[in-house]
Amino acid sequence: MPSNWGYVLAAYGIAAVTLLSYWRHLARRTRALATRRPAKRRAA
Amino acid sequence: MIRVLGWLAVLGLMAGLAAGFGYAPREAVQGNVQRIMYLHVPAVLTAYLAFVLVLAGSIGYLATRRSGWDRLAAAAGEIGVLFTGLTIVSGSIWGKPTWGTWWTWDARLTSTAVLFCVYVGYLLLRSLIEDPEARARYAAVVGILGAVNIPIVHFSVKWWRALHQPSTILGPERSPIDPAIGLALFVNWVAFTLLFAYFLSRRMEIARLEEQT
Repeated sequence: MPSNWGYVLAAYGIAAVTLLSYWRHLARRTRALATRRPAKRRAA
Repeated sequence: MIRVLGWLAVLGLMAGLAAGFGYAPREAVQGNVQRIMYLHVPAVLTAYLAFVLVLAGSIGYLATRRSGWDRLAAAAGEIGVLFTGLTIVSGSIWGKPTWGTWWTWDARLTSTAVLFCVYVGYLLLRSLIEDPEARARYAAVVGILGAVNIPIVHFSVKWWRALHQPSTILGPERSPIDPAIGLALFVNWVAFTLLFAYFLSRRMEIARLEEQT
């Protein structure tokens, strides 16, 4: 039976990149909104 | 609180990797490629949970018109699409060495692809409507109708002749899988649920901030 480690690493690698990218997207969006809020308050 | 949830998810995922690659034995028939199941099965269970929350949020919004329900549905829908995508990709990678093909129009695979498309459509609809109240109302209707797909995906292997194996965890009979493999699946399911709760909290916080700006 072939070991098929390549398929296993591909699946886990894609999952890791996808989940980390989504986490970074959420972090960036939160930072952007947090910096926008005080600026809006000052403008008001 | 959200930070604690994030660290718990990280710990859970590390425990999941240790369980899947260290504790669980090499499966006798499939070999190492079966270890993809520690990713594939928790991903689809998390997607089910997400879409059930879309349904709950949609019903909650139509019943109360409170924006918190809409935020829950929107956040859960986005994360559900993410985990459904992971389910399809990991299943396809598992399918190539096991079935000899990346994809086949089997009932389970096709219904999962339809589920993915329905909720991508749900997110597209949300992005197309400017008025928050109209967006929440139309999205809630799609969120309720889309949930019809969840039992279709789950029971597709029973209702139609399918290449995909029947449910071994959420099936009516006692699970026939080895206890070590079952434990590795359970640890990874808990880890994915924690990760989902973390993503959901952060995504709902973003939606709340967006409403205020």
